[in-house]
Amino acid sequence: MDVPTGLTETQLHSLVGHRFAGGRYRIEHWENWLLTECTGREPLPDRLVHPIVLFHVPILGVGTSITELFALGGVAGAGSVGLEGYDWEYFRPLVEDVEYRMEGGIVAAERVTDDTGRVVDKLAFEISLFDTDDQIAARITNRWVLRR
Amino acid sequence: MSGRDDVGPGDEIPAWTMPFVDPARMRTMAAILRDPYPVHWDRAGNAALGLPGRVINQGPLNLGYIVNMLLAWAGPSCVRRLTVSFGRPVLDGDEVTAGGRVSSLAVVDGERRATCEVWLDRDGEHVVTGTAVVVLDGR
Repeated sequence: MDVPTGLTETQLHSLVGHRFAGGRYRIEHWENWLLTECTGREPLPDRLVHPIVLFHVPILGVGTSITELFALGGVAGAGSVGLEGYDWEYFRPLVEDVEYRMEGGIVAAERVTDDTGRVVDKLAFEISLFDTDDQIAARITNRWVLRR
Repeated sequence: MSGRDDVGPGDEIPAWTMPFVDPARMRTMAAILRDPYPVHWDRAGNAALGLPGRVINQGPLNLGYIVNMLLAWAGPSCVRRLTVSFGRPVLDGDEVTAGGRVSSLAVVDGERRATCEVWLDRDGEHVVTGTAVVVLDGR
């Protein structure tokens, strides 16, 4: 999708319904080990992955990237993106070395005035992870604030 | 851990403290996330944000401290849902402490679950707030 930096409100609203390519992702032991260490705790037992894996694995697994999401939102540069919130659901334990299938897209986009009177855009995307038997394993909804 | 039969609404979850938010871990995290956003590793670039000489911790790591508190309390596969909002940024060198309190209990899908108010504090101020649902019957 070719979106110019700085979206009109119409362009912003048109992002709702955008679907990511979809894809698969296998969380390897080294990746989980490093991720868990970054949180300041020891690895979990039984190949369990640290729950914060639900930030990057859905984004990469669904076939997009942080860079592409910034581009979709028409933002770039330091301070242009903030986190508003996450809603992450875990239906099954997530483990290393299992190939999860992912699908999702952009579910909300709106232009609002924040508490300081500044106009900002809010963008939300939802991605679901499916286990090898195609049962849902997890679902995330992330909400970002885009500053122009 | 064989489960937490003694948990009830109003109970405090034992706090979990990260005594020093380490910029080296932010750099590792940026690589894992494939996150090119320089606010997590470019101290000089952050001067324009009013943060000269500081870098901003990744949101997932801030949430990770809350998760570590939950895992230490209720077991390694206890988390069923996390709903959080991010307030002020956490910076390298900060000390932050995760806290939580049980709001309610329910049985869902045969599991005894606790809904908990959770937060991450720096200098007594909430920088992340939210709700966690954890299963109490796990390891």
